[in-house]
Parts: sequence; C-alpha cells; structure tokens
Amino acid sequence: MLELVNLCKAFGQRVVADHLSLNVADGETLALLGPSGCGKSTLLKMIAGLERPDAGQIRLGGVDLTALAPEARQVALMFQDFALFPHLDVRDNVAFGLIERRLPRREAYARAERALAELGLAGYEARRVWTLSGGEQQRVALARALVTSPRLLLLDEPFSSLDAHLRQSLQAEFRRRLAAARIPAILVTHDRAEAFALADRVAVLQQGRVVQCGRPQELLAAPRNAWVASFIGYHNVLDDGVLPEQAFLLGPAHPPARVERVDSLSEGIRVELTQQAAHFTLTLSAREAAQFPEGLRAGQDIGLGIDRSRLIRFAGA
Amino acid sequence: MFKKVLWLALCTSALGAQAAELRVLTHSSFALSKELLAGFEQQSGVKVVVIKAGDAGEMVNKLILTRANPIADVVYGIDNTLLGKAQQAGVLEPTASPAGAAVKQTLPGMVSVDYGYVTLNYDKAWFAKQKLALPKSLDELTRPAYKNLVVVENPATSSPGLAFLLATVKGLGEEPAFAWWGKLRDNGVKVAKGWSEAYYTDFSKNGGSRPIVVSYATSPAAEVFYSKQKLAEAPTGNLLLKGGVFQQVEGVALVKGGGQKKAARQFVDFLRSDAVQADLPRQMWMYPVVPGVKLNPVFALAQQPVAHDTPDSQAIAAKSAGWVSRWTRVVLKSGY
Amino acid sequence: MRAVFSRQALALLPLAFLILMALAPLARLLYEGGGGLSANLFFDDYLRWRLVWSLTQAAVTCVLALAIGLPLAWALARFAFPGRVLILRLLLLPFVMPTLVAALGVLALFGPHGVTGLNLQDTPWLLLYGNLFYNLPLVIRAACEALATVPASRLAAARTLGCTAWRAFWRVEWPVARPWLASALCLVFLYCFSGFGLALLLGGQRYATVEVEIYSLVAYELNLADAGALALLLLCLSGGVAFGYAWLERRLATPGKVEPLPPRPAATLAERTLLAGALVLLALFAAAPLLAVAGRALSAGVEAWAVLGEGDTLAALANTLRFSALALGAAAVLGLAHALAAQRWLWLRAAAFLPFVLSPVCVAFGLLLLYPGWSASLALLLGAYALLAYPFVAKSVAAALDGVPPQWPQAARTLGASAPRAFARVVWPLLQPAFRRGLAFAAATALGEFAVTLFLSRPEWTTLTTLIYQRLGRPGAASLDAALVLSSVLMLFAVSAFVIIEWPARRDRDSDHA
Repeated sequence: MLELVNLCKAFGQRVVADHLSLNVADGETLALLGPSGCGKSTLLKMIAGLERPDAGQIRLGGVDLTALAPEARQVALMFQDFALFPHLDVRDNVAFGLIERRLPRREAYARAERALAELGLAGYEARRVWTLSGGEQQRVALARALVTSPRLLLLDEPFSSLDAHLRQSLQAEFRRRLAAARIPAILVTHDRAEAFALADRVAVLQQGRVVQCGRPQELLAAPRNAWVASFIGYHNVLDDGVLPEQAFLLGPAHPPARVERVDSLSEGIRVELTQQAAHFTLTLSAREAAQFPEGLRAGQDIGLGIDRSRLIRFAGA
Repeated sequence: MFKKVLWLALCTSALGAQAAELRVLTHSSFALSKELLAGFEQQSGVKVVVIKAGDAGEMVNKLILTRANPIADVVYGIDNTLLGKAQQAGVLEPTASPAGAAVKQTLPGMVSVDYGYVTLNYDKAWFAKQKLALPKSLDELTRPAYKNLVVVENPATSSPGLAFLLATVKGLGEEPAFAWWGKLRDNGVKVAKGWSEAYYTDFSKNGGSRPIVVSYATSPAAEVFYSKQKLAEAPTGNLLLKGGVFQQVEGVALVKGGGQKKAARQFVDFLRSDAVQADLPRQMWMYPVVPGVKLNPVFALAQQPVAHDTPDSQAIAAKSAGWVSRWTRVVLKSGY
Repeated sequence: MRAVFSRQALALLPLAFLILMALAPLARLLYEGGGGLSANLFFDDYLRWRLVWSLTQAAVTCVLALAIGLPLAWALARFAFPGRVLILRLLLLPFVMPTLVAALGVLALFGPHGVTGLNLQDTPWLLLYGNLFYNLPLVIRAACEALATVPASRLAAARTLGCTAWRAFWRVEWPVARPWLASALCLVFLYCFSGFGLALLLGGQRYATVEVEIYSLVAYELNLADAGALALLLLCLSGGVAFGYAWLERRLATPGKVEPLPPRPAATLAERTLLAGALVLLALFAAAPLLAVAGRALSAGVEAWAVLGEGDTLAALANTLRFSALALGAAAVLGLAHALAAQRWLWLRAAAFLPFVLSPVCVAFGLLLLYPGWSASLALLLGAYALLAYPFVAKSVAAALDGVPPQWPQAARTLGASAPRAFARVVWPLLQPAFRRGLAFAAATALGEFAVTLFLSRPEWTTLTTLIYQRLGRPGAASLDAALVLSSVLMLFAVSAFVIIEWPARRDRDSDHA
C-alpha cells in the first residue's frame, strides 16, 4: 500500500503540493484528476523519486521511500510521451529495466518478448521505436513498465496522445492488465471520463490540495463543491448543489424556456436554455430528442420543468 | 588507455628531470647532426635537452621574461641584432671564448659560433626572361622599372627583415634610409610576415610574382643543394648592394642563473670544435667562425659579400625598437 | 540538490583547467606589463585602422560564407549522391592545413604561375577566397546539421499548405537553421577576427589583424603593457560574440528525436543543376587548394616521396599520432565535463570559448612566466593542445545535451538505473554522434598548426606540421617538394582520423544523415 503523508512542494511561488495526503491500496487504481498545471505530474515525479518533496513522507508497504533514489524504489513511471529510448529497438527498450536488475541478457530478452507478445506486439522486437504508431508506442511503454514487476505503477496521461477509438480499446485492456498485475497504480489525467473509466477511486486536485477523493459514484453522488462538480462533468451547478439530468422534465405542461443553442453530440443533442434568467444545459438522448419531431432551433420556446427535490447538495456545504 | 599514456608521459618527464640535464635554449632553425650531440652527451656525461623557443627575437624575449627563474642553462642563437638587448636585460653570463686560434667574427661577451649575411636575392630566370638589368643600388629599386618587384619581411615579426632594415639604416644613414623606404613603399614593396611566407608565396622563383626578396647570402647555394636535379648553377643570385647587406653573427653564452656551469661551458667549447664547425654550414647554412674549416663544395656557388653595413650591437640595442616603429609608420602606417 | 552539487564538481575540472592554462597566464602577463600604457595606444590611426579592418574582414567573410554556404549546404543535406557522407566528413580537412601550405595551394591555382592562368595575387579576391577556404566548410557543416533537424513532417505540412520548395525553405527551414547558422557565423567571426589567417598571408602585412600587432608587441618588442591592453580589448569584443554564441546555442535546443527528411536523388533538371553547382562551388572553395597541394606533391616524383622514409618524418608521424591521441583524450574528458556542467550556467557555456578568444601569444608568454619550471615539459605542451581542442567537444556535446529531453534519463531511473547507469545507457549513446563530431574538430585542431608553435618545444617533439614548416624554412625545390609531400601525408592522416572518429556506429547507420 502506498501512503503519501503531508507532502509539500513548491517551485518558487507556485505551490504544487500543499500538505497532500493520499493512500492507495494494493491492487487499487487511483486517478488524480485536475486541471493542467495543478501539480499532478510533479506529484508522480515525487513518488518516483525524480523530484524531492520539500516536506512530508512517501511510504510504500510501510517503508519510507522519501530518501531513496528513484532506481531503488521499484516504482515504474510511464511518461506522457512514453519516453522510449530512440537509440534502442523495441526489445531493448522493454528489457532495459531487467538488464538494470542484473538479469542475464538472454533471460531479459525472453521476458521482454513474452511481455510484448502479451500486449499483441509479437514480431515488433527489432523495430526502431520511432517507426511505431502512437498506440504501439504506448503498449511498448506499458510493457517496459510492467515487465520489471514494479511495486507501484505510475501513469502520466497515458492516453492523451492517442485517438479516441484507440483510447477506448486500450483503456479496457489497461483495466484488465492492472487488475491482473495486482499492484497499486496511480493514473494522472485531466480527462474525467478516463479517470472514471479506469480508476477505482478518483482524487480531485486543485492547487496542490486534494479537494475530494472517493469512488467515482461517490463523487458523482456528492461533489464537495461547485468547482468539483463542474470539473467532474456537471453542467447545471447552482449555489448550493447541482441539478442532475434527471431533475429536468420536458413537455408543454411546464413553463416555457428559451432555446439558446443546440449542438449535436455523438449520441443525442446538447441544448442550452434560459428560464427566468437562469441558464441550463441539458443533454438529450436520441429518444428524448424524438419528442421534438420538427427538431430544436435556437430562439424557440419549449416547456421545461425542474424537480428541485433531485438537487444534489454539495458535500462540503 | 589515454590516461595510461598520459601518466606514462608525465612520469617519464618527471624522471627525466632527475638525470643530469643541460638545457640548451635555441631558436627554431637550430640543427646539428644527431651523432655529434650524442657524442657530446657521452663525453660530458650530461643529457642535452634542446629547447626551441621560436624565432631568435622571440627566444630572447622569453629569456628576458623568465630571468628570475631561467628556463635554460645555455643559450645558442643570439646574434648581433639581439645581443645588446639581452645584455641590457642582464640575462647572459659573460662568456669568454675558448683559448686558441683567432676566429673570423666575434661577439662581445658571447662566444661567436657562426655568421652569415642577410641580403637581397633575385630570380635569375625572371630577369633573363624580362631582359631587365639588375639594379645597381638600392635607389634604383625605387624607380618605375622595378615597380612591384620587391618583397621584404616585416622587421617587427622577422629576423631577416630586421637585419635588412638595420643594414639600410647603417648603409644609407638614418634619414635617407627612411626616405628610401618611403619611396620603396610608393614603388609597391610587399611586406610579408616572415621569411618562409616571403620566399614561398611572394618570390617569383616559387609561388609569387616578385623577383627580389630579402633572404640570405647562402640561399643560392642552398637552392642548389636542395634542388631536385643537381644544378650546376644556382637559380637565384645575391644582389649585393650598398646598404643592403647585413652581417649576422650568432653565438652561444651561459644563461645567468642557470645551472650545470661545467657542462654548459663544455657545450660552448663543443660548438667551437672542428666537428661542429664543419657540420654547421650544411645544417644551418651559416659560415663557421673558425678559420680553415673545410666547407661543402656547394658553398662555392654562394657568393660571400665583401662589404656589409652592420651597425654595432650597442647601437642596435639602443635604437632598433625606435627604428622598427618608425619603419612601421613609414611603410605600413602611412596612407591610413 | 544533489544534481547541482555534482554539476558543480564537474564544472571544477574544466574551470580549474581554464584558470590554470588560460586566465592565470594572461593575468600574469598583464601584471608583468604593469600599468605603463603607451599614451597614444588607442588614438593611433594605424591601430584603429587595423581594428576596423579586423572587424570588416571578419564581417565580410561571415556574409559571404552565409551566402555561399547555405545553398551549398541545402543541396548537400537534401540530395543523395554517391560519396555524400564522405564529403561531409572531409569538410574539416581545410582546418588541418598549415596556412602556409594552403597559401601555396591557392597560389598554385590563382597565383602568377597558377594553373588557372588567373593571377589574383595581391587583389582583395584572393583574401576573401583564403578566408572562405577555411570558414566555408564550418558554415556548411552547421547548416547541414541544422537542416537535419527540420522534421520531414513539418516540411510536408508546408508543401500541403501551398508552399513551393523555395517558399518552404524560407518559411520552414530557414527559421530552424537561423540560430545554428548564427552560432556558426559567430565562430567564423572569432576565427577571422583573432587569427593570423590565410587571407593575411596572401594579402601581405597591410592586411594584418590586431592579433598580428599583439604578436609583434609581445614577441618582438616585449611591450607587455600595450599588448595586454589590446588583448583585453579583443577579449571584450570577441567575448561578447562568444556570449552571444552560447546564448543562441541554448536557444536552438530542440529536445527530442526528429525524423528528418532523408536525402533523395536530384530528380529534375533544376535540382541536378543545383546539386552540380553546389559541388562545383565546394570543389572551388574548399577542395581545389588541397587538390593543388596533393597534385603538386604527386607530380614531384619519387625522390620527393623518399622523404617518407626519413627518420625525422617517421618520428614526426609518431609524435603527431601520440600528441593528437593524448590531446583528444584530454579534450574528451574536459569537453564532456564542461558540457555537462554548462547545462546549468550560461556563463560556463560561454567560457568554453575562452581558448578561442584569448590571444595565443599572450597565453604562451604568460604560461612561460607562470610556470618557468614546466615551460619545456610535455605536460604543458599537451595542456596547450588540449586547451585549444577541447572547446569543440564541449560545444558539440552541450548542444546535443540540449536535445535530450529530461524524461529519457528519468525513465531510465524509474526502470532501476542509477544516475551513472542512466547516463551510460541512455544519455551517452544519444550524445555519441555529437561527441564524435566534436572530437573530429578537436582532432583537426590538434593536427593543424595553430598556436602550439608559440610554446617552447623540443626537437624530439617535432610533429608533421612543425616538420612542414621546417622544410619551408629553407630554400630549394626539394625542400618545397618535401613540404608538399608531408602536407599530403598530413591530409591522408587527417582523413583517416575523421573517418575513424565519425564512423557511424552500426545502430546509427540507418538513421545517419550527417
């Protein structure tokens, strides 16, 4: 189990960790969710030993790692751009850590090849890394990180450079691998969908602090404050809570609301409405949208009812 | 690997310093048969370390700069252009000549070893082809017929260049000499940095276009000696003009504050020995000061000047720096 | 924190070396000179003219080297043709040629007896030609390297956005190449400004630079005060240029591996003409004088080549080999240490240029004053070699280090490599090409004449270059032939050194573009 205790780190005026404490259990995947520049990547580097915290402790399995050199931590970090070594071929990249652990080269290569085969990259061993596609590079980086059997896996925006389709298929594969490896993992992302899809728990970071931490459902059911609520994807954030989609009722029986804007989504449409100076954004499924056979246009009035009893109050309020 | 070699080099140089060593400072043209030096080492029991300090002028300045902590025990190659400067700076131990027969040239306070002449050389083939008469005086060189035909070395950076300037000052008188230099400049004299540059890039015999160059009186003989097919006659000749010949006498002396006095003295005598005196002409193209030494037959092709215009070394010491800067002003600076 | 400390430790080695071998001697010389400046030193029209001339010829050479070098480099970088890689390696050859020999080569072409029948001696053309001979290759190499950092995708993007090849050059390649070129031109400027140079040799003393003035002040007049003042003035002027260079170099850092455009055969008539023109220009400016020297040596006949069998020649060859190897070893260590430390401090990066901007004659005499007991020791001589050779390694490796993104060594650390192991297995292999490139330049410097002639030497330390000068120190056709033969040997020696040093490792070969 990984424990971060009161970690502090600042670069001059910019605080990237402010008495930050977190735990990750064995076999658990924690997502660090936060806007760009909130200190997520620095946090990973501190855990990996590439940056020194100004104060605080990092413990893994009860052992204090804070003073250990990165190579002594057995913590694997997968970089955002994968950081594959351009002077080595795929096999040597994957075997890199094994050779550092004094494995005989032949054994290291055998294990590397096995790891590559498991990720569907058999036959890629002799390829130069810059001839690989983004998805292939990502899988090589994952193989390189996992093949050394690290005690902790750190993933820095692992899917950000991949296209949406590839991302979905790889995310599923990732979950399987992480579950199979039974090691704690920390995933840094600014994409809430990715965090919710992959992580057992999500920690929302803002200016070096954990604003809220919990399982995805917990977060959705009780965001701590307006900032968290909008960051995890709620559109209709009020002063005291958020209105989930279920709180909105459509139909001519309800008071009129003016359609301001209509956007097509991959499934359904998004509608922005104003009602008595209040602004709402609704996502209508294809079926809900079918209520309007003539379609929706900006400037049009439709009936909109709001069920205030469904308001999700902020947990911190 | 590199480190090993470096260590080896350092160790050997450190070890070498422990053996009895005679440090001989010379200019870069010094050359002597290896067998002779080996013979001297065997006979005297010291190891001779020859240290080349660049051109003679550079060498004297290095000696002067390090007088508190001399870099050599004995110095060879100081000539009459530099002797006064060296003596004024007090870097030389007055060194008496070995007893014996009289020598042809002497240097006060130093032991003369060899001598030679700086003079104008001309390209015989060029003059024959152009059917131009050879100039009979320095003045003629300033006439239009000889426009752009002369290359000299910069006296501020070259020993023969300085020697030639001194000869003109002595031969023509100071004021007329600089007037002549001014006219020569107007007649297109080219100034090269050193002898090699002048001789190999400007002299018409080699790469250049100028058939008259400041060089040595023995150069025509050397041209024959270092020719490809043995020539019967030299391709160049000496142009021995009044005010254009300088007699250079080179000598050897002990360095003040140097060690190995006994060996140093032996070395001085060694340079006056018949064997060395006979070897020098071929090695450095200078004449031996000891009379009666048999010269290589090729020297018959070099005409030895009968007259020369050489200021005495005291005058040189007192005035040459002023003359050089005046020369620079007249030849290089005017017009800017 | 630890990284900072270790970098400081690394910086100590080159800094101590620079202080002991360059700064302290200069300071000692200034001290010896005392205060007594000539009153009119800086009001002397002649000296001012020399300063202006030094600046002008350096600036004109920079402009010409850019105007000719850039299109030439473009053709070399973009078109494939047999022997291309070899030509790029050989570009350093002019560096090795003793200036006097190069002058002989130039005059064999454009002298009064030149084979072209065109006598350019004593015209400004020959001066500029001489400067270009030495400096054009420098600009071409830098430009080729710069063009190899332009990602193929970016060029392709420009073309799809409607750029012609010509427009794509100006809008995509030129901005990338600009800082590289500027840094190469800084170097050209320094060389021309503070050197004795071929141009000056060909033009005579009217065209001497300030450095020649310093040389005669120190070596002949022993006027250390004036010389020191001039040397400091030059140091300030060219030190500013060096600082600019260091700043530019750091700015041009593009971390990451780019996939450059592979050279392709010239396809259209225009392309073939361009390539042919480039090769002709290169031959004219860089190769012709060398070929003239080699040609004259070959036509000198068997007797001339007999010089190779002489004991002196063999000893000189052995010395050249030994000294170059030792100097390269020292240059490698110092250069690496300097480059690693200079990642952090800009001034340290600029300090690598100190050996280029200090007046060699001042340093030589200062060393003599400072270490009289060591003056004729091999260690000091090798120190001088290393001093002049190592900045090339430092410069080249520092630039390459800029190109290594920090996450590569970091990734190695997280995979279990200690800091030294991460350096050895990840950073070092990536620095290899640049390191070798720097070593090649260092080798060229060590083999070439440069200022080592100013130091005390011993007959038994004669190198090929000093032997060549000895031969040219006496009259006679045979002496000249011997010098030319020895120069050809020097060229052969240098060529093999460059090819060995820059021999692409097996792994790099498929991606080797420069």
